[in-house]
Amino acid sequence: MIMFDRRIIKNFGWLILFLALLFSAFGLINLYSASYHTGLGTFKKQLIWVCIGFITMLIITFMNSNLLKRYTMHIFVISLLTLIFVFIFGREVSGSRSWIVFGPISIQPSEFVKISLILIIARFYSNDFEDGPFGLKDIIKPIIFTIMIFSLILLQPDLGTALVIILLSGTMLLFMGIKRKSLLIILSILVLVSIPAWSFFLKDYQKERILTFANPSVDPLGMGYNSIQSQIAVGSGKLIGKGYLAGTQSQLRFIPAQQTDFAFSVLAEEWGFLGSAIMLLIYFLLILTILDTASSSKDKFSMLVALGIAALFFWHTLINVGMVLGLLPVIGVPLYLFSYGGSSVLTAFIAIGIVLGIKMRQSLVPKEDISLEKNN
Amino acid sequence: MPQYKNKLFICSLIIGSLFLILVLRLFYLQILKGDEFELFSIENRIRLINSPAPRGKILDRNNKKIVVNRPSFDLKVFPNELKDIEKVSEMLGGILEMDKAEIRQSITKAKKKSAYLPFILIKDIDRDTLAAIEANKPDLGGITIEVNYLRDYPEGKLGSLFVGYLGKPNKDDLKKFPLTNLNITVGKTGIEETYENDLRGANGINYKVIDALGRQVKSKLFQKDIEDKETLPGNNIHLTIDIELQKKSEQLLKNKAGSISVVNVNSGEILAMASSPSFDPVLFVNGIDQSDWNDLTKNVLHPMLNRSTRGTYAPGSTFKIVTALGALKENVIDEETTVFCPGHYKVGKKKFKCWKHSGHGWVNLNSAMAQSCDVFFYNTAEKLGIDRISKYAKIFGFGSDTGIELSEKEGLVPSRSWKYKQFKEPWYKGETVVTSIGQGYLNVTPLQITMMTASVANGGSVLKPILIKRISDLDGKNTMVSSSEVLSILPFDDMQIKMIQESLVSAVNEKSGTGKKAKVKHGTVAGKTGTAQVISTKTKSSKDKHKDHAWFTAYYPAENPEIAITVLVENGGSGGGVAAPLAKEIIDLYFDLKNGVIQNDNV
Repeated sequence: MIMFDRRIIKNFGWLILFLALLFSAFGLINLYSASYHTGLGTFKKQLIWVCIGFITMLIITFMNSNLLKRYTMHIFVISLLTLIFVFIFGREVSGSRSWIVFGPISIQPSEFVKISLILIIARFYSNDFEDGPFGLKDIIKPIIFTIMIFSLILLQPDLGTALVIILLSGTMLLFMGIKRKSLLIILSILVLVSIPAWSFFLKDYQKERILTFANPSVDPLGMGYNSIQSQIAVGSGKLIGKGYLAGTQSQLRFIPAQQTDFAFSVLAEEWGFLGSAIMLLIYFLLILTILDTASSSKDKFSMLVALGIAALFFWHTLINVGMVLGLLPVIGVPLYLFSYGGSSVLTAFIAIGIVLGIKMRQSLVPKEDISLEKNN
Repeated sequence: MPQYKNKLFICSLIIGSLFLILVLRLFYLQILKGDEFELFSIENRIRLINSPAPRGKILDRNNKKIVVNRPSFDLKVFPNELKDIEKVSEMLGGILEMDKAEIRQSITKAKKKSAYLPFILIKDIDRDTLAAIEANKPDLGGITIEVNYLRDYPEGKLGSLFVGYLGKPNKDDLKKFPLTNLNITVGKTGIEETYENDLRGANGINYKVIDALGRQVKSKLFQKDIEDKETLPGNNIHLTIDIELQKKSEQLLKNKAGSISVVNVNSGEILAMASSPSFDPVLFVNGIDQSDWNDLTKNVLHPMLNRSTRGTYAPGSTFKIVTALGALKENVIDEETTVFCPGHYKVGKKKFKCWKHSGHGWVNLNSAMAQSCDVFFYNTAEKLGIDRISKYAKIFGFGSDTGIELSEKEGLVPSRSWKYKQFKEPWYKGETVVTSIGQGYLNVTPLQITMMTASVANGGSVLKPILIKRISDLDGKNTMVSSSEVLSILPFDDMQIKMIQESLVSAVNEKSGTGKKAKVKHGTVAGKTGTAQVISTKTKSSKDKHKDHAWFTAYYPAENPEIAITVLVENGGSGGGVAAPLAKEIIDLYFDLKNGVIQNDNV
């Protein structure tokens, strides 16, 4: 099951691993500062999660990729069941029922579900030998998968994750091509569905979040408060920042959720424009190397999985940093490898592990082909 | 899968450009708007605690208190620290005997404006309420008592017209006193206004670093670049006023409209300056209410008017001092000049009456002054002419400011050119004779008359009146000491001045003198009465408001003058009958104070 080969070392995605580890190291350094005054509990927990994530990543990297493809449907069904379980038995935290609690550990299944969605969409297209653009009937299956997951997450309700689900699936579907007419139909259905979704699924605080985004200064201590405080933190960091552990906005806890969703504003305040621009550059490079892996992968499934994972990282970064910088409404989406949170750290490492596995096996494909031929 | 290479490349481009947007936004926030956000981040964590500076005291020449301060206990609310607005409102409502809904409403309103900015819910609570608040302190988190200072007037209304009052600053005040913050009061009139910058002091500022929950943070790391400012109390103003003379002056004017001013003839220091009616400055301490304000401003007797410096009146016969000295200087008359007074005088066809209709008979300068014969001066004035009368009037300082540290009126000295400008009419001779006895267009303030008398008393120096002796700071060190200032030297010979001085002694000390009611036992008073007509003599009226203004101006002691006094009683009647006796009482008190008959502490 786990294969070792010299070429593995040679073709291993060292750059991807390096960038991912570099980024999570910076994430830890930043989290140390963000939890400095409240005890280092979250920092220590995150450290453990990064270690667990790293080991998980290694295991996944060295797993046979056929295994993933073969069990995609199983993973998907388990994901759906977990989401249903969460909906019934989950713990409600700040208005959303999205957590399963095992003793000291809380898990947010909606994080892992993103990967199973990527896998099942990738598998759908890999079975098809035709190329797009596809009509609505052709891609009805991935659309149904998306809607199932989307609805269950919206029911929790977890607006941020639900949005990511739509964006992820949309990216992959668009990438594979959709006929113009079908795209129009899908978009109009989305608009039609979002109106009742607004009135039934969204809770008041979520509506307010979106509404106050337009002008947060109208109500500085109401819903726009988070956005303003975050922008003050970022802006006051200026070129070189206020210095490590010396960010006034973060250390005096003016920044909300500074260990999770707003971790990036702590960085921007303490390290300034230089630090945060470099951090975005590292992230951009990481996404580029994942896209490169997609580009050089030998089969459609691997290519699509890598693309999906690149999209996953990209959308999370865009939404999270956009929110921190006051460009987007306050939607709870973590910055992968940077925000505190076991489920998101684990999900990120699983995703990196899958990409590393794909990258590694690009060189092994010829050998596999040979063995397959022999078997036949 | 090479067929997807192009598509994936396009994906990287899209992702790259969106990352670029994020970086541009970072650039905008941190580089372009960085300074602005830095200020916000400072505002976020820094709280200013103002400790108000007590305003300077206003004291009399012997350091007796006229205006001081008292603490005002103000109820301050920190909206973000209130746990349960409903409960706190209910408790406060009970203690303050206020409607709890009203309290809740003002708290909610303030909180909406800014949860971090404390605001004053109610000012100047009494001791019992204070005690009740303190007793319930554990349940009143977010409520604190702040001590501010309010003006206190131990002598009541004493001197209110020159002391002035405080009020909320308006636009003009902010221009005058640029450092004013809107929450304090500034001097609106009188000394409080003129010496605002000395009296105010500087509020102390304590900076407190707080975290997002409003808790104080001790860490030095977040306290760079901020420094506390110590409270600097305002400077004390020491007046030239003698509280006893002031009290007496105000007492003498009770139920009258008028003015009494007493100055030191050698220094120009004002010992008393009373104006009646006056107002109670206590009304302004917590902001005057509309009905009180209307009572003050619509009162026909103008209690807000400092008559001594801003009331203008015809000087009546007191002005004869000017006419006489001018005529002596111009050799129009001399000691020997005699005039027959039949009780009237004709200029052209017009007949001008002497106040004594039966006439004074033969009078010379001395007796004309002593008995205030008008005909003598009509005669003199015709020879002297208006041009020279107005020239000498201006030399005495009439028609211009005295230079006192308060707002004042210049009055009016008429002249040919003035009349032409005003009425496009030539000057008539009849107007000259009327001017010579202090009637007609002539208009003066009581303080101008006092300074005139002082200049005659001291031998010819027109002094600037001084109300502020010195200003001292917290440590008692003087920041300003006033000095006497001679505005002009009268151009008269000593002999001429002496002649007038003697005539003034006669006016008080001779049997026929008009000012004999001012005669004192302990020395010699020199003075001149004046009875200024309010309406023309032809009209007979018994209405009080048409009665003559009574003037008396004097100095004492005649041999070696120390003080000059002017008494004016509006519509009082004759100067000799109404004003002179009041001057006598002041002079008596001055004598007693000087000789220790009445104990003046702190002397």
